[in-house]
Amino acid sequence: MSGTDAEADESVDADSDGSRWDPIRMSGRWSFHLKAHLTVLAIVVVSEYIGTKTYPLGPGEVVILPMLYAVVFGMLLGYRVLGAYVDQLRAAIPKEVSEISSPLIVVALMPLGVKYGTLVAPNFYDIIGAGPAFLLQELGNLGTIFLALPLALLLGLNREAIGAAVSIAREPTLGIITDLYGPDSPEGIGVLGTYLTGTFLGTLFFGILGGIAPITGLHPRAIAMACGMGSGSMMTACAGSLATATTAIPDDEILAFAATSNLLTGLTGVYVVLFVGVPLINKLYDVLNPIIGRN
Amino acid sequence: MDRTEFVTNALAMLVIVGIITLIGNTVGYDAGIVESIPGIALIVAIGIVSLFLSREIPLELPSFAYAIFIAMLLALPFSPTQEVFLRYTDRISFLATATPILAYAGLSVSLQMDRLKQIGWKLVVVAVFVFFGTFFGSAIIAQIVLSLQGII
Repeated sequence: MSGTDAEADESVDADSDGSRWDPIRMSGRWSFHLKAHLTVLAIVVVSEYIGTKTYPLGPGEVVILPMLYAVVFGMLLGYRVLGAYVDQLRAAIPKEVSEISSPLIVVALMPLGVKYGTLVAPNFYDIIGAGPAFLLQELGNLGTIFLALPLALLLGLNREAIGAAVSIAREPTLGIITDLYGPDSPEGIGVLGTYLTGTFLGTLFFGILGGIAPITGLHPRAIAMACGMGSGSMMTACAGSLATATTAIPDDEILAFAATSNLLTGLTGVYVVLFVGVPLINKLYDVLNPIIGRN
Repeated sequence: MDRTEFVTNALAMLVIVGIITLIGNTVGYDAGIVESIPGIALIVAIGIVSLFLSREIPLELPSFAYAIFIAMLLALPFSPTQEVFLRYTDRISFLATATPILAYAGLSVSLQMDRLKQIGWKLVVVAVFVFFGTFFGSAIIAQIVLSLQGII
């Protein structure tokens, strides 16, 4: 839902709640926990020390936040990335570190959630006033179907296009499509593609997009609401960059609007995908595939 | 994992994340460690309640949503706790709370490298268009509705 990247296995096995949380067990696993949390501490200290960098680009800015350094450092240090080539690194940061890190994303989201609550509440009346915009922009998720489905068909994809283009595909969508069509179906592979691309590139992508989007002339409030359409980390990178790049409205208001949108996406996203997105994309596929499909 | 084991281990993890956040908040945003402790303590307390509620209440809501809700209730303009709650949590920069999440997220992606090999470049291209489509689709709708309402 609105929360996290990189926890696919958990949502696929949503019923086995035990295995999802097992890595946080500390007894007998002290050394793995020490390695995991010290690695994260080191990444955080280095990332925060570098600090936010901004590069002007027209009326917008390319903003690189500490969190973006952190995700890149984290990826590079993993046992299957640089660790696959450097034995000493893999010994210092073994597979267990990655396993512990997966549920820790959920735990580490708690401070951010509290901060968002404190930003949303003082803007409560403004947000209520913008209620209709919040509810309707949730349908923006469907905009992707009209843009990405034709492109997928032109690229020669078949039923993979259904899974790939149905929505921005965070955990709930991954769950729905996997449930409906099966994990090894073309639709299942398609949704996995969008999900994993989001996991690997989403934070960077939305972090850059949030800073440069004011170029389009869209109002920062509207951009802030669009920032909330993906995962919690996408939203934070996007809203953080937007707040850094624009001075038209207060930072707190941008963050509050993005967080509210993200919260609503979390609450309504499943239903929009299940009852509107999936039927719509299937209809559109049947219409478009004979015309522009390549197979 | 039973309830007691979950709560004790999750609390330990929250305290660790709290300490990492505290240090990041000092390095990046020049906040004093001691004066930031009450804010982090409140965050840890709300965090454990949120993780617990998400596990026990069969609504399939993420714990992130509970954390936002609880903090919101405590910080609403008409809430008696607003002043004191905001005074303490204000000392924690919101960007400082995001960095540890992404560090853990980055480390965990190694687990998905095998699945990544199933994905061809075409699906990556489609995914990028999905991001654009969703982002601008919702931004444009928001722009139109906010203009119609006279808010912007």
